[in-house]
Amino acid sequence: MNKAIFSLKKVSKVFPGVKALDGVDLHLYPGQVTALLGENGAGKSTLVKTMTGIYQPDGGDIIFNGKPVQFHSPHDSHALGITAIHQETVLFDDLTVAENIFLGNYPMKKGPMTKYFSIDWSAMVTRSQDILSSINAHMDPNQILRELSIGQKHMVGIARALSVDAKVVILDEPTAALSHHEIHELYELVNTLKQQGKAILFITHKFDEIFALADRYTVFRDGCYVGEGFIKDTNEGQLVEMMVARSIAATYPKKDVEIGETLLEVSNLCHTTEFANISFSLKKGEILGVYGLVGSGRTEVMQALFGTTDHVTGTVKMNGKEVIIHSPKDAIENGIVYVPEERQKQGIVLELPIYQNISLPQMDRLAKHGNLDQESEMSLARQYCERLQVKASCWEEKVMNLSGGNQQKVVIAKWLATNPKVIILDEPTKGIDIGSKAAVHEFMSELVDSGLAVIMVSSELPEIMGMSDRILVMNEGLIVSELSRADATPEKVVSLATGGHVTC
Amino acid sequence: MLRRFIYSREGILSMIVLAMFLAVGTISPDFISVSNSISIFNDTSILIMLALGQMLVILTRCIDLSVAANVAFTGMVVAMVNQYFPTLNMFVLMLLALGIGAFLGAINGLFVWLLKVPSIVITLGTMSIYRGATFLLSDGAWVNSHQMSEAFIGLPRYEILSIPVLAWMAIITILLAFWTMKFSVWGRNFYSAGGNPMAAFYSGVNVGKVQFYAFLVSGTLAGLCGYLWVSRFAVAYVDVANGFELQVIAACVIGGVSIVGGLGTVVGCVIGALFIGVVNNALPIIGVSPFWQMAISGLVIIIAVVANASSDKDKARIILRKPEASVGSAPSQSH
Amino acid sequence: MKNKLITACVLASATLFASGAYAAEQVRVALLVKALGIGFFEAAYRGAEEAKKELGDVEIIYTGPTSTTAEGQIEIINSLIAQRVDAIAVSANDADALVPALKKAQQRGIKVISWDSGVGKEGRQIHLNPSSNSLIGEMNVQLAADAIKAKGKTSGTFAILSATPTSTNQNIWIGEMKNSLSQFPNLKLVDTVYGDDLADKSFREATALIKNHPDLDVIVAPTTVGILAAAQAVSDLGLTGKVYVTGLGLPSELAGHVHSGAIHSFAIWNPIDLGYSATMLAYNLVKGKGTKTEIPMGRMGTLQVDENGDGAMAKPFVYDESNVDEFSSIF
Repeated sequence: MNKAIFSLKKVSKVFPGVKALDGVDLHLYPGQVTALLGENGAGKSTLVKTMTGIYQPDGGDIIFNGKPVQFHSPHDSHALGITAIHQETVLFDDLTVAENIFLGNYPMKKGPMTKYFSIDWSAMVTRSQDILSSINAHMDPNQILRELSIGQKHMVGIARALSVDAKVVILDEPTAALSHHEIHELYELVNTLKQQGKAILFITHKFDEIFALADRYTVFRDGCYVGEGFIKDTNEGQLVEMMVARSIAATYPKKDVEIGETLLEVSNLCHTTEFANISFSLKKGEILGVYGLVGSGRTEVMQALFGTTDHVTGTVKMNGKEVIIHSPKDAIENGIVYVPEERQKQGIVLELPIYQNISLPQMDRLAKHGNLDQESEMSLARQYCERLQVKASCWEEKVMNLSGGNQQKVVIAKWLATNPKVIILDEPTKGIDIGSKAAVHEFMSELVDSGLAVIMVSSELPEIMGMSDRILVMNEGLIVSELSRADATPEKVVSLATGGHVTC
Repeated sequence: MLRRFIYSREGILSMIVLAMFLAVGTISPDFISVSNSISIFNDTSILIMLALGQMLVILTRCIDLSVAANVAFTGMVVAMVNQYFPTLNMFVLMLLALGIGAFLGAINGLFVWLLKVPSIVITLGTMSIYRGATFLLSDGAWVNSHQMSEAFIGLPRYEILSIPVLAWMAIITILLAFWTMKFSVWGRNFYSAGGNPMAAFYSGVNVGKVQFYAFLVSGTLAGLCGYLWVSRFAVAYVDVANGFELQVIAACVIGGVSIVGGLGTVVGCVIGALFIGVVNNALPIIGVSPFWQMAISGLVIIIAVVANASSDKDKARIILRKPEASVGSAPSQSH
Repeated sequence: MKNKLITACVLASATLFASGAYAAEQVRVALLVKALGIGFFEAAYRGAEEAKKELGDVEIIYTGPTSTTAEGQIEIINSLIAQRVDAIAVSANDADALVPALKKAQQRGIKVISWDSGVGKEGRQIHLNPSSNSLIGEMNVQLAADAIKAKGKTSGTFAILSATPTSTNQNIWIGEMKNSLSQFPNLKLVDTVYGDDLADKSFREATALIKNHPDLDVIVAPTTVGILAAAQAVSDLGLTGKVYVTGLGLPSELAGHVHSGAIHSFAIWNPIDLGYSATMLAYNLVKGKGTKTEIPMGRMGTLQVDENGDGAMAKPFVYDESNVDEFSSIF
């Protein structure tokens, strides 16, 4: 029992500019649940992709059953019985449960010719039945997926993962989309798999789940291995410390900016399903950090402030005057801009030249009687793109010809050019390399220095701790706490965001 | 500037059109005479105008299949009005054509904007409805040349500087379109709303409204072309311009208007229409068998679509040059 | 509930009885045309009404699809079978597609004739050609010869502008025109082109004909869209009187071009006569009048039926400046 079936030894993975995994170790044991802990950006997703053969490691060894192995493709790892259950599994709504479980791997009839083109439907249904009952999921394999609940669909996804003879099962934040009852069922499933002798890697942000299910833990931080051990020998405080410990202030260019009068006041903002009772204020020169797990409602609140969400009640005041924001246009006119998380998808028009992207939100302001003045468009683009050091041959260049990083800069330049009072940055450093991250942080300091107020939504704790003057912590659609920079400790913030055992 | 144009898609396409034009000239020298060139342009005028309207629609990720039916309906209405009120001023009649066309276009646009019905569905429906309405209106009867007033038939044929009014209308439409798409906020919105509706929305552009405007313009131009068509061929009947919407869309596609939206220029679109115009006028002159004519027209469109598809592929390659996609090149960099 | 059912049954049988009695007195003839709203067929309907007046005991059901599709006609045939008409006189959109439906009609005792545009032999008892193909071919060449004479020449050239290259009628007529050329040694056919019955394409083809053949005297277009577009092209090129357009078309559609001089004369069978004859034939078949080879058709005389069941009504009728206005108000 104490011999690892699957191990990673000193495994590294490098992307241009980022070391995603830096010599990490991981051991999984048959019949045991190992919890993998780490903040966003600690390298957990990269690890899963390396284990399942989507990425090939740049260094280190993968040991399976005592022998070193190499995965050239997901197929290789699948063949050894390593299978992953993701947060959102891709399933087909119009196919039956059995078809979904065996899609791409249908059992074939046995004849000399039929094995090439004739699916053994009855075998497929019986085997589906077996797998489903082994995980205590009771449903008809012939049912169309569309008719199932989200929790049931999730079980189908799990059954699909187990349709191969699984030896190692990776559960990547499996409870994120589930209801309380369904989570309970999932716990039972994990225990069943454990009893069947499978080695389980359990990735989650929720400490209650870790203490309820896991036997062992491994902690990563910034792509590095921090430590491992038995759950029974540790506690939440210790784990949080391992996850977040570092000297925060040193790496963040936080400037002391004089905080001015109140600029934005939000009171009692409510939405029917996403969030409720959101009240906060924002002062000139301030950086307000909003921390919460994915799905905590933080992005939804910001989008509501920007006028992209319907069915929102509550009041928003700018400079003490109530403003009505029903569309992004209203928000922009009132000096509130929102830089979305998916900057390429939501931020730029690839087919248009740089300068036309910059002028996009304020064409009415730049135009005279509906006629665009190309000169003023160009000078605006020049001014802001130079300030952000966008690298391009000329400002008439189409954005699609720029690198990803420069495309991001164009998005930010576009919003800055509107001369906003409040700028909302949603995950401002997501998906960019460490060097650029520092530049973004420096830039945020400059922004507040020049009299703006910034709301920074982030799930990266160090960033929140390092840059914010105040921190709002959100959980399940509510602001659970507001912390001043002095009061906030990483431990406090993390536990508040994950369900709150620490009292303020 | 010139160099850039030559290497652009529009440049290459115009070169092909010019080469085709000259090649036919070697077979039939009269083909490339000034008067024949004017007559080819005149013959293509309606296609150019409709293609420019269609371009706006396609830019915003929609399609307008009802343009030809709109031409037939508006043409029939103005022809019948002229038949019963022959003294009515042509200016009023023209406004009527524009108004009816705009109304029919607005119906499409409202469905797309407010009810979010996919444009291919709604215009497929209105295509039949408008043609059906033409039938109901006329009871299937034709309006013939002797039932039309002299001014009604004469206007598009009236020559200013040896160029017929029909062609002048196309020229004015091209200039207006060129100016609008390049220099007005309104024109720019078609590109942003089609190129990335999400980003346009976040930038304060009302994407649905922009789509509505596209259909409105397409319909208005179709209305004008309804009058021009009926007047040019001096006959109005239910099947006027039957299937012409496909030529209009083909002109856009050949001209480099991306069928997935956001890409396309006025110049390209006009050259795309001229391409079809030259082919249409050249085929009878060089005596290609009628069966081959159909095959050649089809082949030309497929080649254009394939060319567009491969340029879209280029586009995708550039987009994918992001962290995720550069994985493949990572190992070589680390060693 | 039960009561209601009985009432319904009684009502239904009463209706059945009533319609049965009606059918005994009136011969119900369905005049099924290619599409509603076409001037030509509207005129044929007038002829049918004329026959009705003459005969007295005929009911005419004038019907057709809204566009010229075989599918639409099949649907109508099925409903006519359900209505138990006595005879169907059809101008078909497709020679073969209608055959099964019409066969079914014949099995139910309905007399079927085709007219104008025929169907396969099994689909009908007789086919009434408005004229014979050879007469039409000859007439078209005759028209060309007349136009050349009007130019004051004794010999000249002509070209044909047809509809689609796959149109059966058109191809047969073009074949017959070529056959009858031997009777006109002074005429030369220089080209045959196809305008697909589209105004813009026909216009371009006509223009190209004139450019490719500078000495062209006449364009013969045995199709309405074609003859109109060609006439307009000739006017627009300012060649009125130099190139004549002729062929087949309706007086109401061509009157303007006859007056302008682009068309000297043209021909068409008289659709009134055609509708009249078709109705007469259908009526006489239902009544069992006539023989296998000869069936009377009122004022149009007697139809000679050949071994294929085909018969020709008359020669196409020529229209020119002298009579076009008189007819243009009719069809």
